Amino acid sequence: MTSETTSQREVTVNLENGLHMVPCSRIAEHVRDFVGEVSIHVEDRSVDAKSIFDLLTLRAPFGTVLMIEAVGKDSEDLVNGLATLFERNFEPE
Amino acid sequence: MHTKHGIAVSPGVAIGPAFVLGVEDFRIPHRYVSLDAVDAEIVRFRCAIENVCREISDNEKLASEQLGTQYGAIFAAHLQMARDPKLLGEVEALIRDNHYSPEFALSRVLGQYAKVLQNLGEMYKADRAIDLYDLEKRLLRQLLGERREELSHLTAPVIVLARDLTPSETATLPRQYVLGFATEVGGYTSHTAILAGALGIPAIVAVGDLVTDVSGGETVILDGVDGRIIVDPDEDTIAEYRQSEERARSVAQRLVSQRSLKSETADNTRVWLMGNIEFPEEAEHCKELGADGIGLYRTEFLYLESSREQTEEEHFEAYRNVVNSFPDQPVVIRTLDLGADKVPSQMPSLYPEGANPELGLRSIRLSLTDLERFKTQLRAILRVAQLGDVRIMFPLISSLLELRQAKSTLNDVMEDLEDKGVPFNSDVQVGMMVEVPSVPLLAEDFAREVDFFSIGTNDLIQYTLAVDRSNPAVAKYYNSADPAILRMIRMVVEAGEKHDVPVTVCGQMSSDPKYAPLLVGLGIRQLSATPYVIPQLKEVIRNLTIPQAESIAAHALKIELARDVETYLRGELNKLCPDLAK
Repeated sequence: MTSETTSQREVTVNLENGLHMVPCSRIAEHVRDFVGEVSIHVEDRSVDAKSIFDLLTLRAPFGTVLMIEAVGKDSEDLVNGLATLFERNFEPE
Repeated sequence: MHTKHGIAVSPGVAIGPAFVLGVEDFRIPHRYVSLDAVDAEIVRFRCAIENVCREISDNEKLASEQLGTQYGAIFAAHLQMARDPKLLGEVEALIRDNHYSPEFALSRVLGQYAKVLQNLGEMYKADRAIDLYDLEKRLLRQLLGERREELSHLTAPVIVLARDLTPSETATLPRQYVLGFATEVGGYTSHTAILAGALGIPAIVAVGDLVTDVSGGETVILDGVDGRIIVDPDEDTIAEYRQSEERARSVAQRLVSQRSLKSETADNTRVWLMGNIEFPEEAEHCKELGADGIGLYRTEFLYLESSREQTEEEHFEAYRNVVNSFPDQPVVIRTLDLGADKVPSQMPSLYPEGANPELGLRSIRLSLTDLERFKTQLRAILRVAQLGDVRIMFPLISSLLELRQAKSTLNDVMEDLEDKGVPFNSDVQVGMMVEVPSVPLLAEDFAREVDFFSIGTNDLIQYTLAVDRSNPAVAKYYNSADPAILRMIRMVVEAGEKHDVPVTVCGQMSSDPKYAPLLVGLGIRQLSATPYVIPQLKEVIRNLTIPQAESIAAHALKIELARDVETYLRGELNKLCPDLAK
């Protein structure tokens, strides 16, 4: 049985130059095939994580705390995967 | 059968199937599509996206392997942009709901994104916008550009219809297959037009809507004499044109057969007829047509043709080819006249896009800014000047200071060559183009400092009448016969006579036979023209006497309106040489 779940997790931007184009593209790439919605919130704004153009409007410099939220099947895995990207500072494994 | 009108820029008639070229330069051909086409246009858009994604992936792989993964990552980001669901959704919505063409929808959406990103401040500065521009270019190239390559795949004679052709595209048209061409934009004096004349390909420009109305394959008649294009002509019209084609050919043959005759008036005054050329290969053609030398060698095509900087040796070789065709006759080499509508691909950084490029950093101003490039050319000219009657001409001089700076650079180069012991000609004649209205006004001052003047009517008219010659909306205000222009020519001739400085006219005006009697009457004794009109000009001159020419000029100077001057001159040409009058 599939179950729609909502998962949330807080991450911190540890990139010196902030969340610029390349990390934004990694996020979009990561969530691309996820069936469901993924959004990233900062303060009162939120963007669609599947759209690199949307992500770029986040304006998230070094130290920004972001809230990731996913709604859909296996949302927890997705959120954790994204958090790992942030923890690795978007370096390839 | 329907007829469209444009500006005739290269005479001749061609009949053949239409060949419609895609749009280059990413100008958007049509902003809207018809309702029934919406689905097909969306499919076309998706195909373009797919192709672009493939292209970007290839680049990513290449960049990662050859430059490192951090460079590959840039293309990975581009790939995510091309696949961005929001972008695709918005573009498709504009196509579906507003019936925008994919090209128009795409540049609208990406334009908005670029603006948003630019307003985000420091963090994303302008570089993001460049990435978007790159993506836009890729997509537009997919949507519009690929058809363009078909030009090199032609296997049968056609008439090319295009929104526009660049000068280098025109220069490389496969002549055996291109019977003629028509473009939607362009003007009488655009470089594409000049090249068409040089290549002898019948052409008309500024036709207006063309590529959207003709699908390709229809029979068209291209009338490069009257500036007409007839789509799907009926049998009678074709027969009529075939006949006049035949007549034109026999006149042309008769004229060419007179090439060994001297260019002098019926009362034995010599009027030198020289050729305007862009490519060294044209010099030989000028000689075959009976030219008395090269009055204007436009060297900028050396730069526009190649994707890299030309060396001194390459300049030297090109110039030597021209001098070899005319070892005993004048060869006037104009130094680089780049900028405005002529920007070579290898040096775009030098051309900040001012709002008003014709008034910006172009021509001699550019040479004086970039002295190294200028000196390279001057060295080559000075060296080749040992081999013949080579003369140097500076373009677009607007003040005495500029002229003196150019001449002092030339002196520096001479000293340098002397120090190095390189052989050159130190007695080379130095002249200038008269293209800016300040020069006729101060002609006497300039005359004291040059060996010759050459009036470039194209720019002189543009700057005097304040008309952008390539803008169809105002092109009608551009007129060689304007009384202001005639008086300026007169002023230059008078100053020249006083200081013993010969004056040539080398613009498009001298390539129109109806102006020849007027120019001779104004005192001009040297004309430099598009090669193919040289035989016609010679015919006019040989039928003319000096008193006749002077009375034509005196009458023309009294007429108040440009169009009346034109009508009068056309009538006079008809009396002198009915064969040549249109």
